Amino acid sequence: MNGPSSRADVALLAVNGLTVEFDTDEGVVRAVDGVTFDVKPGETLGIVGESGCGKSVTALSIMRLLPQPMGRIVGGEILFDGENLRQLPLAAMQRIRGARIGMVFQEPMTALNPVHTIGRQLAESLLLHEGLRPNDALRQSMDMLHRVGIPAPDVRMTEYPHQLSGGMRQRVVMAIALACKPDLLIADEPTTALDVTVQAQILALMRELQDDLGMAVVLITHDLGVIAETSDRAVVMYAGRIAEHGSVYDIFDRPAHPYTQGLLTSIPTLSTMRKSKLPVIEGMVPSLADLPQGCRFENRCAHRQPRCAEAPPERELVAGTHGVSCYRWRELTPSAAANP
Amino acid sequence: MFSLNPQTRRMLRRFRAIRRGYVSFLILSALLIVSLIGELLVGSRAIIVSYQGQWHFPTYTAFHPGTDFGLDYSFETNYRELRDVFRAANEGDWVLMPPVPYNPFESHASGDVYKPEPPSLASRHYLGTDTTSRDILARLFYGTRIALFFSLAFMASVYLIGIAVGCAMGYFGGVFDLLFQRFIEIWSNVPFLYMVIIVFSVIPSTFSVPVRIFVLLAVMVLFSWTSMTYYMRTETYKEKAKDYTAAARVIGASTGRIIFRHILPNAISTLVTFMPFTVVAAIAAITALDFLGFGLPPPTPSLGELLRQGTATLRTAPWIVGAAFGTLVLLLTLVAFIGEAIRESFDPKKFTVYQ
Repeated sequence: MNGPSSRADVALLAVNGLTVEFDTDEGVVRAVDGVTFDVKPGETLGIVGESGCGKSVTALSIMRLLPQPMGRIVGGEILFDGENLRQLPLAAMQRIRGARIGMVFQEPMTALNPVHTIGRQLAESLLLHEGLRPNDALRQSMDMLHRVGIPAPDVRMTEYPHQLSGGMRQRVVMAIALACKPDLLIADEPTTALDVTVQAQILALMRELQDDLGMAVVLITHDLGVIAETSDRAVVMYAGRIAEHGSVYDIFDRPAHPYTQGLLTSIPTLSTMRKSKLPVIEGMVPSLADLPQGCRFENRCAHRQPRCAEAPPERELVAGTHGVSCYRWRELTPSAAANP
Repeated sequence: MFSLNPQTRRMLRRFRAIRRGYVSFLILSALLIVSLIGELLVGSRAIIVSYQGQWHFPTYTAFHPGTDFGLDYSFETNYRELRDVFRAANEGDWVLMPPVPYNPFESHASGDVYKPEPPSLASRHYLGTDTTSRDILARLFYGTRIALFFSLAFMASVYLIGIAVGCAMGYFGGVFDLLFQRFIEIWSNVPFLYMVIIVFSVIPSTFSVPVRIFVLLAVMVLFSWTSMTYYMRTETYKEKAKDYTAAARVIGASTGRIIFRHILPNAISTLVTFMPFTVVAAIAAITALDFLGFGLPPPTPSLGELLRQGTATLRTAPWIVGAAFGTLVLLLTLVAFIGEAIRESFDPKKFTVYQ
């Protein structure tokens, strides 16, 4: 967490008011609504939220990989290094994908093509972007495999995905994403499908590679623990909108939004009394096809007021980079005054 | 770097382990190779002619007029007569004929009457002659060769078009898929036999035989490619939705690269199991068309045409129908055995059933 301060404070990726809609059987659904955040070179931004809150859709939108023709970006801009990715022609986008922005998927089991060897898949992006000769690409791929901590990389190069374990595969997937040394890595729940021990290894590896290559990371997860461990800053999403954003210290020590507070209290800790009931957030996430007019957390919020149901709260700054979308955050964050 | 996928290798191993299919495959491959050099085994041109100390190999060269070998005519040498002439002269010249010294087009009527002759070793008509006194073995041999290569070409074209269209439908989806599906539904309901009859009544009979064979192939392919698109379309839809396709896009692969490098190799494996059955269907179809008289243009040797002759002369010349029928059964059985073995070696259940 020493990266960002020493670097230029210009954002590498700036997402402004991103709005994404999907055509579904129930009509048009707004999966992401006015999402704004930025990522500075070298830092790690965590996006956290429960299933269906739009965090993966945000990631896919950045890569312009929304499922066609159902999904489309209807508003906002995605500035990567000053260029609006939304308006880029496809060929230019293909030059950015893999070379400057890498992406890691959740399921290492399916993210590798079963009919090609590990070596061929690793070399592919090098061949596409760096114009290397096949032999050089293979040699460089082998270095990369070594770097992500795969033993006997020369043997693994000629093997097929089904011959590797889940953790190994995720390492390979990461090696592919990092082969061209991108400026930004988008990791969409990279550890969700893995065992807890392997999870820790993969996260540690990611940090290590991030320090080596000096890239920025957007880490998408539903696991607050992962965010706490890896991120510099975090964005909490709820039902397509950003509820709260700030440094991990802001989020974990001084949560201002009732949703963030609820999430944090529902994490079991060692000091929780045994057999006591784990606190939960009552109610269900509203269906994206039938969203409330006002604050989206309104129907589950213990602190709701009539105005919450009327119009969505604007984003307000708590302090510095810590922002929250709630009418009542001042009353709900007693520690805000104590820890400025 | 090139090596077979271990799964492919396992399939090959299993295919080899299925004796019946593997042996059929070897026999059929041998047959195909032998038929490529068939002129050396069955044909009216000599393999070697030794004339005045010089050797000639007339099989694949331009034709030699009879005067080349001291005969008194300038049309193509009749090598069987030449052999008799050389023997009678006894000057050290000799002719080596193929084991079956007849070509499928010449008539060997002993008098002025065309009449099927029964099989005879003495006349070297091992399977007899047909109603126009042509050697049946020669006609069967070349008929089989044409049927095999015709059906292989048919299979290749059907798969090429079917895979291309099906893959495009699956990959691009949406309106393109919808329109093409409707088009295919209409197209596959056009009665194929009528189309063949109509097309052949329209094209002039002055077209050369190879052109007419090609037209027949084209018509057959035109009305058969649709069945392949169904499988290919669903397979592509399935593979397109998998993460590795997205992963390929994420590293910046172009649409063409994604289709050809990532989706096709995964989608195509199911189609391999259909191939032998497509060949069987093609052989059966071409034989049926020939039987009805709408197939390969005469005088092209063909199994169906022999069958028709044979059924017409069932009582007087049963050897015709016997030879044609036997060949057809043998051929179709071989291909069906291969198909069965391929299907079984691709069966994924084999690996998951506990025994």
